[in-house]
Amino acid sequence: MNRKKGDKGFESPRPYKLTHQVVCINNINFQRKSVVGYVELTIFPTVANLNRIKLNSKQCRIYRVRVNDLEAAFIYNDPTLEVCHHESKQRNLNYFSNAYAAAVSAVDPDAGNGELCIKVPSELWKHVDELKVLKVHINFSLDQPKGGLHFVVPDMEGNMAERGAHVFSCGYQNSTRFWFPCVDSYSELCTWKLEYTVDAAMVAVSNGDLVETVYTHDMRKKTFHYMLTIPTAASNISLAIGPFEILVDPYMHEVTHFCLPQLLPLLKHTTSYLHEVFEFYEEILTCRYPYSCFKTVFIDEAYVEVAAYASMSIFSTNLLHSAMIIDETPLTRRCLAQALAQQFFGCFISRMSWSDEWVLKGISGYIYGLWMKKTFGVNEYRHWIKQELDQIVAYELKTGGVLLHPIFGGGKEKDNPASHLHFSIKHPHTLSWEYYTMFQCKAHLVMRLIENRISMEFMLQVFNKLLSLASTASSQKFQSHMWSQMLVSTSGFLKSISNVSGKDIQPLIKQWVDQSGVVKFYGSFAFNRKRNVLELEIKQDYTSPGTQKYVGPLKVTVQELDGSFNHTLQIEENSLKHDIPCHSKSRRNKKKKIPLMNGEEVDMDLSAMDADSPLLWIRIDPDMSVLRKVEFEQSDFMWQYQLRYERDVVAQEEAILALEKFPTPASRLALTDILEQEQCFYRVRMLACFCLAKIANSMVSTWTGPPAMKSLFTRMFCCKTCPNIVKTNNFMNFQSYFLQKTMPVAMALLRDVHNLCPKEVLMFILDLIKYNDNRKNKFSDNYYRAELIDALANSVTPAVSVNNEVRTLDNLNPDVRLILEEITRFLNMEKLLPSYRHTITVSCLKAIRVLQKNGHVPSDPALFKSYAEYGHFVDVRIAALEAVVDYTKVDRSYEELQWLLSMVQNDPVPYIRHKILDMLTKNPPFTKNMESPLCNEALVDQLWKLMNSGTSHDWRLRCGAVDLYFTLFGLSRPSCLPLPELGLVLNLKEKKAVLNPTIIPESVANNQEPVISSNNHGQSVGFQNTFSNSQEEEEIDMDTVHDSQAFIYHHLNMLERPSTPGKEQSSGEITMHPVSAAPLSVFSKESNSSKHSDHHHHHHHEHKKKKKKHKHKHKHKHKHDTKEKEKDPFVFSNSPASARSIRSPSLSD
Amino acid sequence: MGFNVETLPAYAKRSQRMVITAPPVTNQPVTPKALTAGQNKPHPPHIPGHFPEFPDPHTYIKTPTYREPVSDYQVLREKAASQRRDVERALTRFMAKTGETQSLFKDDVSTFPLIAARPFTVPYLTALLPSELEMQQMEETDSSEQDEQTDTENLPLHMSTEEAGPEKENSSVLQQSSSLAGSRNGEENVIDNPYLRPVKKPKIRRKK
Repeated sequence: MNRKKGDKGFESPRPYKLTHQVVCINNINFQRKSVVGYVELTIFPTVANLNRIKLNSKQCRIYRVRVNDLEAAFIYNDPTLEVCHHESKQRNLNYFSNAYAAAVSAVDPDAGNGELCIKVPSELWKHVDELKVLKVHINFSLDQPKGGLHFVVPDMEGNMAERGAHVFSCGYQNSTRFWFPCVDSYSELCTWKLEYTVDAAMVAVSNGDLVETVYTHDMRKKTFHYMLTIPTAASNISLAIGPFEILVDPYMHEVTHFCLPQLLPLLKHTTSYLHEVFEFYEEILTCRYPYSCFKTVFIDEAYVEVAAYASMSIFSTNLLHSAMIIDETPLTRRCLAQALAQQFFGCFISRMSWSDEWVLKGISGYIYGLWMKKTFGVNEYRHWIKQELDQIVAYELKTGGVLLHPIFGGGKEKDNPASHLHFSIKHPHTLSWEYYTMFQCKAHLVMRLIENRISMEFMLQVFNKLLSLASTASSQKFQSHMWSQMLVSTSGFLKSISNVSGKDIQPLIKQWVDQSGVVKFYGSFAFNRKRNVLELEIKQDYTSPGTQKYVGPLKVTVQELDGSFNHTLQIEENSLKHDIPCHSKSRRNKKKKIPLMNGEEVDMDLSAMDADSPLLWIRIDPDMSVLRKVEFEQSDFMWQYQLRYERDVVAQEEAILALEKFPTPASRLALTDILEQEQCFYRVRMLACFCLAKIANSMVSTWTGPPAMKSLFTRMFCCKTCPNIVKTNNFMNFQSYFLQKTMPVAMALLRDVHNLCPKEVLMFILDLIKYNDNRKNKFSDNYYRAELIDALANSVTPAVSVNNEVRTLDNLNPDVRLILEEITRFLNMEKLLPSYRHTITVSCLKAIRVLQKNGHVPSDPALFKSYAEYGHFVDVRIAALEAVVDYTKVDRSYEELQWLLSMVQNDPVPYIRHKILDMLTKNPPFTKNMESPLCNEALVDQLWKLMNSGTSHDWRLRCGAVDLYFTLFGLSRPSCLPLPELGLVLNLKEKKAVLNPTIIPESVANNQEPVISSNNHGQSVGFQNTFSNSQEEEEIDMDTVHDSQAFIYHHLNMLERPSTPGKEQSSGEITMHPVSAAPLSVFSKESNSSKHSDHHHHHHHEHKKKKKKHKHKHKHKHKHDTKEKEKDPFVFSNSPASARSIRSPSLSD
Repeated sequence: MGFNVETLPAYAKRSQRMVITAPPVTNQPVTPKALTAGQNKPHPPHIPGHFPEFPDPHTYIKTPTYREPVSDYQVLREKAASQRRDVERALTRFMAKTGETQSLFKDDVSTFPLIAARPFTVPYLTALLPSELEMQQMEETDSSEQDEQTDTENLPLHMSTEEAGPEKENSSVLQQSSSLAGSRNGEENVIDNPYLRPVKKPKIRRKK
């Protein structure tokens, strides 16, 4: 939203205010996966002539709508079901993205739109004019929902409760419309009454307070009554129903935890820490948790690991763990803490518009960071910040920028703030998932930058202010206009900051929030001995995509002999060189301790230094107060000093990465020393392992002594008396544990002069496996064993292939035989004694793929495909699928690609579907501009269909399909497609046109035929149809409906139904229109250009056609499409006729 | 029985008769002189004198003899490792032989037999719950934790836990909670949580 507008407070895009909503689900059928219920919305008109009410609803079948007990007509139209209609030629992602953004816009609640348009009965018009209350009552049902509500029904004996069947709401951003009609916006708040009638053995968990549970008359079911009195957006409403085990938190009785049967012991352990997170947030925010209760539900087949909703969070059941598991514990706690942070900012405080999302994500991410710092320590926190910073920098440089606060002006293409992207950033639903992840990452980093500017104290005061305003507003039960105080906007947030801190952070906001891109610094220096001055040169690259120019202060820390000094440089337009006076003269004869930044004084061996310079090391922007990448040049000894003596873990990690380029004995020594330092942060030591392996490989010809790290490992973890045997496991010391896990993995990367893994190392790892003994250990060693398998995989080098013979057992390398022996045994043992999260199976599958890829074992996807099937643990499936994706790429297998794509369409688990697309995008079988036998027209059609209509039930999946399409074919028309018969391809992006040289006017290509025949059919029965849908099972394909009688009969049946049938109706998108036969009948004879435009128009309403001239070109047409959808909200270009709409012709016209 | 008694002598003197030689006279084994192993114990006072004497001490005295136990740590570990490996190998091979298998090589299905992947109806249960073996192990280690570990090799590692590293808080926080968990369980009976309340009976008038 526009910032000026925000200043005036919140303006609802709707001509009414919703104050209360009842959701009642009276029947849930697990067998049929169906839901029946009604909603009742209490709304107050804010304008006198309100005659249409627009609501959001997807995939629900709506039976009946009543407004104040009067039957009301309604239209159900969802342009996102199929984005481009009958678009068979273009296949151009640019076109699709525009059309998709337009379609999402057309139903965007933040623009006052919706899929469901209800006509206020004329009897009530007078009532409305007095701005009196309206109650909109909608009966609906859901049948086999494909998104929004996920059923998990294990296929086994017993009733649903015994089988552990459950259902839960899920989705990305506002997805509540998938399971009940509502105003699916984060900015429309209301109070809620939620009722769920479920089987007596089940529990329904939802938002707000459970008021009572009542049996039905037959005592076989019970109804859960929930009240949520804190105004909440529909998008924050959630539901989970299942035979859950209930655990009341022993520390906080208002908090209740739920898990699936048999997992109670794990639940107890997993949630035993939660109260500390509560305490932490309440303390720093000086604000009580806003809701009167909190519920955590752990479910299977989760859409995301953590989903936060008002007063409840839905977690993946795979986060549960027992006390024996080390690795999962911090991860799960982080998830819990994240979920809780979002309770305050995201659920309780909602946002005004999509462009304010960054504030919520930023604040919740920021306070989560504070929790991390407190819980895991400053080192872990700084390591995390560095990691996040590296990620966002890499992503922005790759894609061209992440914009936190997009402002949308006139809507012209030129103004598009994200023209470098292949999707629109105007709506959450058009965003690539990766972009959204990075968006969240940037948001919290920017919050941290704001904190740097105004201090943490002020920052927390601002948060407290937002929360107390919201909590005052939320208690105003009957003053719904006050509720907008619970919505945060960018401008409101910034105003708060300036009020509280009195500081102007506008430049910072302009740089990082209103603008995308990161800063890229290149630094180098020279020491001027005469002037005793450090001449620092800092260059910037601000021309590459994803970069921006930085102007402002930049901190540089110089460690000299006399101590550490901070300097703040002003980075200006044209000044590259900065002179920094040094404090110390170079004098090495004096034996003196050297003071560090933290006040510590240490002895150093200064012999490695340059005799003329007092400089030990230099750091640019040590506090990470700019979103940047720094490439700094300093000598190897400086990096070594930095690694040994700088106490900041980020500096140590930077030094380690830099030392990779200096394979010298001195680097080796520095790294080895760090490895041995128990005081050193364990992650730094782990990183040092890998760097040491790289250095050892570069130094292979001069390396002396045993393989790198071997003697170290022996000293740390092996028996004193028999150094070849590892001690029995004892993982009480977690730092040692992580190091013990990592070292073999890094060692396996060592290579000898022949580029093979040294035999000694392989034997060493095999011995570790052999002598591994966990009997006396308090903790599980499954992650350790998994990493030993990873180590085996790392030791594999490409097979020496004599000729291209098929790999058989006989010519198996003896080392590989040993490796394979272990993998076989491990994988088989997993079947008998499965490990936690099947980490060992996962590692074995990965290792087998490595063996295949290196030519030791015949490349074959069959094994992976069997592990990828539904019914395996999700981690195993992902590992197996990753192998299949890799196989598809390496072997260019069309069959496997098809297998993967069919899984994308049919797998029961949404996360798997998403992940396959994600993995295919990250490891694509081919990319644009690449010749590949896989790249053909059929694949283009298939993927197009997938993103156009096959994924309409899941925003994330659709965006994933778009990402894949982009990776494979790029933005413009896929190169593998023949130039269209129409002869003219207009490239919108480059404003180019290509004429097909092979064009023969009379020829009609194969792919056109179905279109023509469908049109003919349409004509013959007197319909102008728009059947090109494909995603519904009850699809009515015109090609197959040869019997027009049957066709009419079918639709008459439909029309007789008393309501808009959700599903069939969307598939049978028909509009009753007298046929405009003329343009169609001359279809094949007309000139090419008009033929083309026909294709794009025949699905529009007649009146639209009249408005347009037929002969304009593509470019104009697209604009028309988008514009008209926005301008005229009542034009349903593909309006599905329903019984209602026919009865109320005023609406459909 | 139909034989003529007269023919018996002739039969006895037939040429192919089997001659059973008389058993060789072995020397009567001389009862070895009772080896006196130590003095016979005199009767303790409560046994009357007419009772027989105690037998030789060697008949009831036990001299515990045993082989020197293999106390060599290396050998023990070696043995434990190879034993476990053999058992695992044998077991998995048996399982593979008796069930469906998958193979990495088309030409050879027996050298590296993989037990076929079998989907579960409820995959998360096996993946998340500790196996019985692990549960048992956990109980054992819990009880034996304070016990002195026989493996002295591990002691130094124990010690290092006590040393406060800079990241000590990391580990201590993770462990803290488990000890706290059980402490307040006793209060649960007074908890008023809506999910623990009894389910109400339906009202006579139907709720709207």
